[in-house]
Amino acid sequence: MQRFCFLISFLALNLSLFAQADSLRSLEEVVVTATRQERRMGNVAIPVQLIQKKQVLEAGSLRLRDILQEQTGLQLTSSFGTGVQLQGLNPEHTLILLDGQPLVGRTSGVLDLSRISLIGIKRIEIVKGPSSSLYGSEAMAGVINLISEPFKGPSIETSLRYGVADPDRGWGVPFSKSSFQQLDATVQTSFSVKKWNIIQSYNFLYTEGISFRPYSTDRIPRPIHRLTHQTAFQKQIGERGDFRLLFRFNQDQIKQEFSVRNNGLVIDSYGRELNQEFNIQPTYTHRFSNRLRLHSRGYFTRYSGDQQLRFIQKPDSLYLDRFEQRLIRIEEQLDLKKGNADFVIGAGLQWEQAWSTRYDALTNRKQNEVVYAFAQWEQPLFEKLISVIGFRYDENRLFAGAFTPKWALRFNPSSKLSFHASVGQGFKAPDFRQLYLNFTNNAAGGYSVFGAQDALRVINQLQRNGQIAELKNDFYLLQSLQPEQSTGINLGVEWKGFQKMQTQFNVFRNDIESLIDVRQVATRVDGSQLFSYINVNRAFTQGAEINISLQPSSQWNLQWGYQWLQTGDKEEWQRVKKGLEYIRDASGASVVMSRIDYVGLPNRSKHQAQFKLRYQPAEGSFLYLRLIYRSRWTIANSNGNGVHDLQDEHAAGFVQANISGGVTLSSVLQLQAGIDNLFNYQDLNYMPNFQGRTVYLTLRHHINQQKNRK
Amino acid sequence: MKKVAIFFTALIGLVACEKNPPAKTTDLRAYAVETVGKITTVRNLPCDTIIGTNAQGQPYGAGKYSFFSLETGQWIPNVDSNTNRWDLAFSGTIIRVNNQTSGPGFGGAFVYSGAFDALTAVPTDSVFRVDNHPISYAITRGSGKAWYTYDGPTNLLTPIPGRTLVIKTASGKYAKVEILNYYRGGTTPSATAADSIKIRDQRFFHFRYTYQGNGSLQF
Repeated sequence: MQRFCFLISFLALNLSLFAQADSLRSLEEVVVTATRQERRMGNVAIPVQLIQKKQVLEAGSLRLRDILQEQTGLQLTSSFGTGVQLQGLNPEHTLILLDGQPLVGRTSGVLDLSRISLIGIKRIEIVKGPSSSLYGSEAMAGVINLISEPFKGPSIETSLRYGVADPDRGWGVPFSKSSFQQLDATVQTSFSVKKWNIIQSYNFLYTEGISFRPYSTDRIPRPIHRLTHQTAFQKQIGERGDFRLLFRFNQDQIKQEFSVRNNGLVIDSYGRELNQEFNIQPTYTHRFSNRLRLHSRGYFTRYSGDQQLRFIQKPDSLYLDRFEQRLIRIEEQLDLKKGNADFVIGAGLQWEQAWSTRYDALTNRKQNEVVYAFAQWEQPLFEKLISVIGFRYDENRLFAGAFTPKWALRFNPSSKLSFHASVGQGFKAPDFRQLYLNFTNNAAGGYSVFGAQDALRVINQLQRNGQIAELKNDFYLLQSLQPEQSTGINLGVEWKGFQKMQTQFNVFRNDIESLIDVRQVATRVDGSQLFSYINVNRAFTQGAEINISLQPSSQWNLQWGYQWLQTGDKEEWQRVKKGLEYIRDASGASVVMSRIDYVGLPNRSKHQAQFKLRYQPAEGSFLYLRLIYRSRWTIANSNGNGVHDLQDEHAAGFVQANISGGVTLSSVLQLQAGIDNLFNYQDLNYMPNFQGRTVYLTLRHHINQQKNRK
Repeated sequence: MKKVAIFFTALIGLVACEKNPPAKTTDLRAYAVETVGKITTVRNLPCDTIIGTNAQGQPYGAGKYSFFSLETGQWIPNVDSNTNRWDLAFSGTIIRVNNQTSGPGFGGAFVYSGAFDALTAVPTDSVFRVDNHPISYAITRGSGKAWYTYDGPTNLLTPIPGRTLVIKTASGKYAKVEILNYYRGGTTPSATAADSIKIRDQRFFHFRYTYQGNGSLQF
């Protein structure tokens, strides 16, 4: 127990609270995601965005969604939880990693970003552009990697936050039953026991009323209890070895009571949702020499989601939904320096299993195995030019293998200027849902969706029973699904204009092949529609992103970011260019659609911008204002022409403002207050999980030994 | 510019509804016809509007047709259904032409992909289809096939822009028709509107047409 005595001794010490991180020095920061090796950000040849813990704390962000929505070029989506679009690609095309290993448990391709607490996370690295050459399936748009905190000496950190919101009345009343309450508590301790360095983090979040049903103006107070625990064990083994074990557990409990109105009937229902997630990651790194390192990694993760819905009027009717997914992986990675070249060579094995009531039967296990190998060669060609070549091959039991190469160049003509260019491929193997879904929605018109693996069998069976009225043309296209593939190009320039200014500019283009789409393949005799998944679309996204950071004085810091985005379905775009698509004019008459009217892929804003202003009047205190803008985005085709255009149903653009400020009360105590969504922007139809204005107060207590040693 | 506006209000006792609650739709048979130059626009033509919902919640109408004469621009009473007085008959998503299984006339139709205004003449090689009730119709039923799409999740029906119906009338003359809207008032309810509104306001046809009375193929 003597190990814990430091805790007491700390209270008497005079410690400074937060380490100063200078955002202008970000080029010196070390990142790992871009190359699977530690690299200074200024030496990476592909676009990387970095979010440090300090920024997360100052912004008052609790969940991954909170901080991602404040980043340039990232757009959040609102169906099946909160997802994120990178460079205009769907949430299912961005891989979310924890220390380099993928998080699982997606619904309809979306990994709910509200599920992910930011405790125990040191920094978040966002790599844009196809990264399958290093990370395999799903890394088509890019990768978001959460890096867990390393051990930095004994410390204890606690925080308590209370927040209140009342979207209808504008301002919440603390501790009032009619307002939505929010409570977040965090404890993190770092200590050493018998040469084991241990970091333990606990987080509990209670929140009400942040989730609304899409297409309903009913606001549902929906109490959510979220619990996250993370422990990292670190130990040095001998002179040359490092062992690390990361364990993370996450649980969400969601209670909901709501009414559904259907043809004048009101059905009251009562729902319970329980989501649980485990991650276990043992890693052993052996340094044979300065030039040779071997990383051995294991990974086990299990996600389960249970939903129960009971209808009050009909107590015997019960809707049950269960989904469970497991992923096991072993991986070896060799880092080798030869001359001035750096090599990374790796290989791995992965088992993936899923069970769900959404498939044919809960007891039928669906599984897939993947064997993969990857390599990367980083070579300085001349003094100022670096080339990085990488590729990966994934051998998939269920599909054809995928080979994904990538080539990146970085050119630094001077210390103030650098150019980068990269071209790479990404892929996404069809997921279990696209293969095995067997879902009928009796509430909304009785439509059914079948995974590609089952669709032919099920529909042929229905046809023999005389239950099919009509087969659509797309029925004849049903076949085994192919992986979706993309090719991405990024070109960028970074310029440190003068000492206090930094500019980054990047243009991108992604070409996506054999995109999987849900199509109606048949109609039942009763008129209900049957859907399945087919590789049909060829799409593109392209755009430009600019980030400018300015520090006029040591007290002020300004950041401005903007993304311009254009997307489209290639076949549709050809038809628009040929004048074969129509819209209606003000009188309702059909006219040829112009190129300006064509919107492309839905749910994407053409313009997105953010502005951040940080003021630090004195050491330990700050004021931080963030403005986020998104222009209108199209929801669905509503004028019958089958393509998305400016006349279609759309959500209005918005500006969201978040403001926070903090003061140091004593050497170990900090008080922070903030208002999220200051303008109380809401869109119940199209941004149902968007929180109303929330006012919060956080008390943070932090002591560590490290400073004392200095 | 000659401008003719005719306004009809007709109360019709076609709908026998002893068992169903009094049909609110009977007084809705108000439609408007307006002719500007060569183009006649018909608004709010009720075509078997909804009179109730069955046990499964499916809406239904009385199963009657609204007959319309492109030549006179008038709604034709049902008693004249077996005559050459009408050119098009509407009932929900069914549009029938006066020929074969539908009537004694020389009617026919096909769907032209292209803007109404761009169609200046019926192509000489055109093949006019006829109805084979109830198996098939000259103007094919079904979402995405001829003139409309139907979205299951939102229960909304939308005429496809850029689809023009080329019609041979009961007397063998030609006309072109563009369906503009399917809902009362000429505005499709929003996707988020209540089902009751979507049901109540559907099956009100809005269309515009040009009729060539001299028998030529030119419009």
